[in-house]
Amino acid sequence: MSDAGQPTAKPSGWDILARADVLSGLLFIAIAAFGLWASRHYPVGTALRMGTGYMPRLLCWVLLGLGLIVLAQGLRQPAPPLRSSALAWRAMLSVTLGLVAFGLCIERLGLVLSILLLTGIGAQATRSLRPLETAVAALALIALSWGVFIAGLGLTIPVWPDW
Amino acid sequence: MEFVDNLAIGFGVAMTPANLGFAFLGAMVGTLIGVLPGIGPIATIAMLLPLTFHLEPLSGLIMLAGIFYGAQYGGSTTAILVNLPGETSSVMTCLDGHQMARQGRAGAALAVAALASFFAGCIATALIAAFAPPLAKIGQSFGAPEYFSLMLLGLVAAVVLAHGSIVKAVAMIVLGLLVGLVGTDGNTGGTRFTFDIRELTDGIDVATLAIGLFGVGEVISNLARPEEQRSVIAEKITRLWPTGDDVRRSWRAVLRGTALGSILGVLPGGGATLSSFAAYALEKKMSREPQRFGRGAVEGVAAPESANNAGAQTSFIPMLTLGIPGNAVMALMIGALTIHGIQPGPQIMSERPQLFWGMVASMWIGNLMLVIINLPLIGIWVQLLKVPYRFLYLAILLFCAIGVYTVNNSSAAVLLAAFFGVVGFVLMRLDCEPAPMILGFVLGPLMEENLRRAMKIASGDPMIFVQRPISLGLLIAAALLLLVVALPAIRGKREEVFQG
Repeated sequence: MSDAGQPTAKPSGWDILARADVLSGLLFIAIAAFGLWASRHYPVGTALRMGTGYMPRLLCWVLLGLGLIVLAQGLRQPAPPLRSSALAWRAMLSVTLGLVAFGLCIERLGLVLSILLLTGIGAQATRSLRPLETAVAALALIALSWGVFIAGLGLTIPVWPDW
Repeated sequence: MEFVDNLAIGFGVAMTPANLGFAFLGAMVGTLIGVLPGIGPIATIAMLLPLTFHLEPLSGLIMLAGIFYGAQYGGSTTAILVNLPGETSSVMTCLDGHQMARQGRAGAALAVAALASFFAGCIATALIAAFAPPLAKIGQSFGAPEYFSLMLLGLVAAVVLAHGSIVKAVAMIVLGLLVGLVGTDGNTGGTRFTFDIRELTDGIDVATLAIGLFGVGEVISNLARPEEQRSVIAEKITRLWPTGDDVRRSWRAVLRGTALGSILGVLPGGGATLSSFAAYALEKKMSREPQRFGRGAVEGVAAPESANNAGAQTSFIPMLTLGIPGNAVMALMIGALTIHGIQPGPQIMSERPQLFWGMVASMWIGNLMLVIINLPLIGIWVQLLKVPYRFLYLAILLFCAIGVYTVNNSSAAVLLAAFFGVVGFVLMRLDCEPAPMILGFVLGPLMEENLRRAMKIASGDPMIFVQRPISLGLLIAAALLLLVVALPAIRGKREEVFQG
């Protein structure tokens, strides 16, 4: 990583913004600011009789300070900018949506349909998975999880939709 | 001899067919996920946590522990044959192990790695057996102020020993502490950061957080990269035996690696990864021919492999004796104990000697099994390496989803894990190591509780922390650590170690 620090031309504003440290600093500051806003009505109390808000607000202020330090370091030290890639967005979206679909459906639609949804949506994360491969994977996973979790461990997960 | 009696108790419970089976299962699963890049022990243990609910506490712990140290064995296989770290703790093994393989000495590299790990595992287990009882005795005299100071020291050490930027590591711990606050405040009854979502009032479960950050987060990270071309060096494994020259060159490295790993493993934030980095750096420095490193030096395999296994093993000491997790895996182990209503702490050894000594005995058994699983059966794992990631990630995702759902019995937890998956991916992308976050998450509530208790004991006088000698000593140690790491000379050294 140390060999990346040789800027040939003056980096543009966007390139500076896209440095890992600049972005993490901003992220920490944003989380801290959000935390301070969310805890604005919590009773703080004193160090001896700490209220609900004492620790949250203290930690948020600390995080804010740390975020500023990271941001300052990121602005000072040259680093290659991060690039967003279509691959990353695709992976993030389909994995998240697949899990959300599973979570929303598991209780009403049961394990089998939920696995179909999770594999169907999750398979969109990569272009290299062919439809037939996805179908085989889904069936294998249904058989495997039924065998392990329902037959083997006797977990009380609904298997079929609850009409 | 009390020691022999204790070990006899341990082997008595560890040798029952069921527990032998769970040790074997843990060792197999550990080797499997160790061999596979893209899934690590933290995610696996988190996913399997709900299953331990249905087991005896000891059987569950034996299995989870086997996964952790089994992963140290499996990780080296991938490092040597594919030049990819199967686990982060085998990063250093890639350097010389893969070179050895390219020179047609893959078998020797694998054998040295497995035997060095086995030796280190045996020694480290003996260290646990020897040092845990006296430590637990000290722990029993600890009150709330001592515990608070100890955990503070732990967090400081975790920061000092963390990879990469110190400020970022502190920020990650603070972030973990904040996530740990979500839910109902036990003392005032007020809710924090729940945003009127009913599912959040009981707080966030450690398994959900770990599965999200590490399981789902790593799946997204892996998919976001173009799929790497894996070229497995498989044909060349002919001789699974090191030469006399290998043994002569590596035995000192194994001893040093074991010693270093055993010490670093006990420290909070230490454990397997740090140990292997430090052992490789040390070995290179001690060597009379440092230019051989990176070109297939057998010491460069022996040292980090013995160190990572020793470190993985001794990181159980603070968890078993004091109930304090030193790394994310130990935090999950504590989760496994509390599922069964067992309060981790110094009382475990006296109240549940079978649990403690059974664990210790199972580690010996498990390490022995691992040598067999990893050496004669190496062909199986090589085949496994040829399975492309696109077939694996769907299974990983599904096990994450079912794991989270069953541990909480709530679908909201699955959504939460998906959220933390995105968080974990973003953090990894920004070079923020998520492991300290788990540590902060687990230690936060414990620290707050002990702080309040200490304040109650002292009726609000914060001087209690410096008036009690043990607590004062721990605080001084924490302050010294902070001071040391601020010195420019040491900071340079620290960066050197992590860059290998």
